[in-house]
Amino acid sequence: MAEPRTRIAFRGGGFVLGNRRWAPWIAFVIIIAGWEAASLSGLLPALFMPAPHEVIAALRDLVNSGKLGNHIGASLYRVLVGWALGTSCGLVAGFAMGVFSMARAAGLPVVAALFPIPKIALLPLLILWFGIGEPSKVATIALGVFFPTVVSTFSAVDAVPRNLIRMAQSFGLGMPDILRKVVWPGALPGILAGFRISSSIALILLVSAEMIGTQVGIGAFILGAGNLMQTDQLVAGVVLLSILGLAISFLLSLAEKTLLRWR
Amino acid sequence: MRLLLRQVGHHYADLPVLEDISLDVAQGETVAIIGPSGCGKSTLLNLVGGLLPLQQGSIETLGAPPPGCLNPLTFVFQDFALLPWRDVAGNVALALEHHDLSRVERDARIQDVLALCGLSDFAKALPKQLSGGMRQRVGIARAIAVRPAVLLMDEPLSALDAQTRELLMEDLLAIWGRERTTTLYVTHNLAEAVRLADRVMVLSRRPGKVKTIIGIPIPVLERGKPQHAAALAALQEDLWQSIKIEAQVADREMLGEAQHG
Amino acid sequence: MVSRRLLLSVSAAAALFAGLVLPASVQAQAKQKVSIASLAFVSSAPVFIAKERGYFDAEGLDLDIKIFNAAQAIAVAVAGNDADFGITAFTGGFFNLAGKGALKVIAAQSREEPGYNFVAYVAGNKAYDAGFRSPKDFAGKSVAITTIGSSFHYNLGMLADKYGFKLDSVQMKPVQSIPNMMAALAGGQVDATILPANNALKLQADGSGKIIGWVHEHTLWQLGALFTSSKHVQQNRPMVERFVRAYQKGLADYAEAFLAKDASGNRVFGAKAEAAFPILEKWVEPKPSFEVVKVSANYMDPQGRLLVKNIYDQVAWNQAQGLVDKSVDAKSFLDLSFVKGHLDLPK
Repeated sequence: MAEPRTRIAFRGGGFVLGNRRWAPWIAFVIIIAGWEAASLSGLLPALFMPAPHEVIAALRDLVNSGKLGNHIGASLYRVLVGWALGTSCGLVAGFAMGVFSMARAAGLPVVAALFPIPKIALLPLLILWFGIGEPSKVATIALGVFFPTVVSTFSAVDAVPRNLIRMAQSFGLGMPDILRKVVWPGALPGILAGFRISSSIALILLVSAEMIGTQVGIGAFILGAGNLMQTDQLVAGVVLLSILGLAISFLLSLAEKTLLRWR
Repeated sequence: MRLLLRQVGHHYADLPVLEDISLDVAQGETVAIIGPSGCGKSTLLNLVGGLLPLQQGSIETLGAPPPGCLNPLTFVFQDFALLPWRDVAGNVALALEHHDLSRVERDARIQDVLALCGLSDFAKALPKQLSGGMRQRVGIARAIAVRPAVLLMDEPLSALDAQTRELLMEDLLAIWGRERTTTLYVTHNLAEAVRLADRVMVLSRRPGKVKTIIGIPIPVLERGKPQHAAALAALQEDLWQSIKIEAQVADREMLGEAQHG
Repeated sequence: MVSRRLLLSVSAAAALFAGLVLPASVQAQAKQKVSIASLAFVSSAPVFIAKERGYFDAEGLDLDIKIFNAAQAIAVAVAGNDADFGITAFTGGFFNLAGKGALKVIAAQSREEPGYNFVAYVAGNKAYDAGFRSPKDFAGKSVAITTIGSSFHYNLGMLADKYGFKLDSVQMKPVQSIPNMMAALAGGQVDATILPANNALKLQADGSGKIIGWVHEHTLWQLGALFTSSKHVQQNRPMVERFVRAYQKGLADYAEAFLAKDASGNRVFGAKAEAAFPILEKWVEPKPSFEVVKVSANYMDPQGRLLVKNIYDQVAWNQAQGLVDKSVDAKSFLDLSFVKGHLDLPK
């Protein structure tokens, strides 16, 4: 009798994420087409959700009104200044906490206590301190960005392999050199990952920051549209915010690609 | 430069790890330190290299460092300790940048050690692009770039596979052929010790004490010759006998600690 | 859990009690459940009074008052059928929502009426000292309001029309809430603001601002209304009629209690006010004192009649500002058939 002969079947498939560049576009198209269809058929009443073509019309009106640049310019200024301010302070504090045990012991409980406070709850205080002009808006964003930056910087510094620091010490590098040449580049991946979170938070807080005392800015535009129940404009504003978020995410990816080529 | 250790002891909290270690290392001599796991070999090396504060005894160097020496006590690490974001030349440069060297002088040194370690073609490569053996060559190049007075090698070949280890031992011997640096060489591999060292210091299990020091009377560069093979094998067997019981007991102690820890 | 169980047993006991004492005829006719979305403000007092005094029960309606904390949400709740009726102020957002056809305005709530202080123009101390003494001089001033399209915004629009200054020359600072408006004025962030009487008087008493005029001294208009969904008007007309009748009784009681004047034209708060006060104490948040009620009890038409032309004006003004969609037509969301004798009908 012949020995049974079995062909080996491949069983290692799946679980490997391939590159599907077109997939996100298809997903977008399907979602928007389905949405438009639901709106046109009356399944999705205009009262509750505007149709995509109405949103596009609202966006076109915004472009034609010439105010789009003002809104985006004002918001970009607030986000960039607030984010830069919160990030630079957060980096310094996070670095100090990652490197000095005194700063860590003192800083950790403070951060733990203040991080979860919704910054929006502090808005009245921020208005008292900084007024209703630009400073309070920038401060809201800066404050929201500061704490996650501290946490991500601190963990990133903490995660720099100790053996690299010991190596640098064994070659006689001083503290400033070690921070600059070992700790900073070693912590950079974690810090850039933190930037993704903090930039999203900055955009989220933009709407809160622009609640007070302004009619210009994407957040103010969204809030105004919400107050007036102009849902098409509201969704148009949200679309703008999403585009801003995608642009920032793209820039960060670019930064990661250039700065972290070594990974 | 000579190295003098006198009654060196060390403990972590209440746990003594080293006791009464005395050793003289002559200029240009290589002393291998072997012993069971946890006997304090690496601790001893870190004490000599100034990475741990000295608690008991004394550790001194005697004599002037060689000309051009930038970092008398220089380590080669088991895990290479390369900066992943710097290329090969950059990693070597790290050891030189903070010293008062002209750019030309620095580049010359880098070229020199890269050539010596067979890395000239890899100057622009990142560590992630290199094999383990090549990475340790970078570690060695970085160490000799500072012209050390004493090399402190902490299991430099332990992370490599057996074949790479052989290749690197030959490279080390070739480098030493040009210039012999006083060296402390920590390893748990007896073959390495017998192949590379002038003397082998055997430590007992924790707390590590000097159990014995065995001289290897065959010149280092001649040990590859077949006529010495039997003698070296006998020496390695001697070392194994002196360390075997210690290793067995230490192994069980580790288990006990794991259970109670 | 404990409180819910307690509540259940209490209501069970109440049902038992009702079964013992109520005449069989009323029991047999099950009351219709209806709900109204409302703010916990004095301006909703007629609803609270009608509820507490059983006027809705008498019409066979079992009214559930759902307290909201934003006017916007009330209109949305009615449009989304989460509440059958709503009572609150007109805003740009309200008109946009009503313009989509989901809402019908059926009776009046607050309005500005001569002799009844309701909403005040308040100047900051610095602006006041610099000569800002009249609402005619708003041009060039910065003013804290809740939001663009709010009643405060419209107040300024009416002033601009009446006194011939450009609304663009007023720097509108939307700060979302009345406490924020008070803080902005007290902190010197703005030159002026517009506040309900009790807030304005408090600010003045604190020395943080000066009242430079009342809205009713300059412009009269319809601030708010009772509204329901278009669906109810079409399908449940008798129920809406009964509801409006009960609401009108509440309005009449409210007017007797809180809008009375003596022979020389001064407002008086007599025994009827004191009798109705506990109802406001129960429903209004934050719990008011009698003094606060006296200050904040604003004028409402005792029969629920609307200043109709003004509503057309409001829609037109909002449309001119680009705040309300051009397609919105006041006629389409007004149903004047539930209350007789609406005022100032447009020709």
